[in-house]
Amino acid sequence: MREQDSGAEVSKKSFFKRRSKGCPLSEPGAPKVDYKNPKLLLRFVSERGRMLPRRITYISAKKQRELKIAIKRARNLALLPFVDN
Amino acid sequence: MPLYESTYITRQDISSQEVEKLADAYTKVIGELNGQVKKIEQWGLRDLAYPIKKCTKGYYTFMGIDAPIEAINEMERKIKLNEDIIRCFTVRVEEIEENPSPLIAPDDSGDEIVIGGKEDRVERVTTEEGAE
Repeated sequence: MREQDSGAEVSKKSFFKRRSKGCPLSEPGAPKVDYKNPKLLLRFVSERGRMLPRRITYISAKKQRELKIAIKRARNLALLPFVDN
Repeated sequence: MPLYESTYITRQDISSQEVEKLADAYTKVIGELNGQVKKIEQWGLRDLAYPIKKCTKGYYTFMGIDAPIEAINEMERKIKLNEDIIRCFTVRVEEIEENPSPLIAPDDSGDEIVIGGKEDRVERVTTEEGAE
């Protein structure tokens, strides 16, 4: 019974193309979220300078909150743009 | 005493010696008010992400400070009076990192971070190795 269920799930998985799981910033050895690191923050910002949603970046909620603060600080210091055309 | 990180941006048209002189001056201000500057970094001339007071470039100076709030307030007041400084920003932190900031750290080894699912996005990006 159980095996059947998991089997069904696997086929579903391949059907829906499971995405890679996990937050890239929560892994061990991941860089620290810091407003002094615009190179890192730029990865989580759209071309026009807005923050990317979590559903696209797969960042954990905790890290997303940290990112929010870091990005706003970096904008204050002109390390990141508020808007970028 | 609480720890702070303070960064200010100096106009581009003054010399880098003057920038260092300014840093010394503010270190003194902190010292007079029983504070201590733990760390000073010159990030050098950088492009600003947007113009500030018609400047497109500026010298960044970063300081890690262990000082009472009075010292910080006094330093910020002096910074705001100085017309060569176009932006200043101070935050309170839990600890001041001993390693140099990622902005000036030479090590650039690429740690791959994939944004979004592997299957539907080809966007692969690299980031710096963390300080830890």
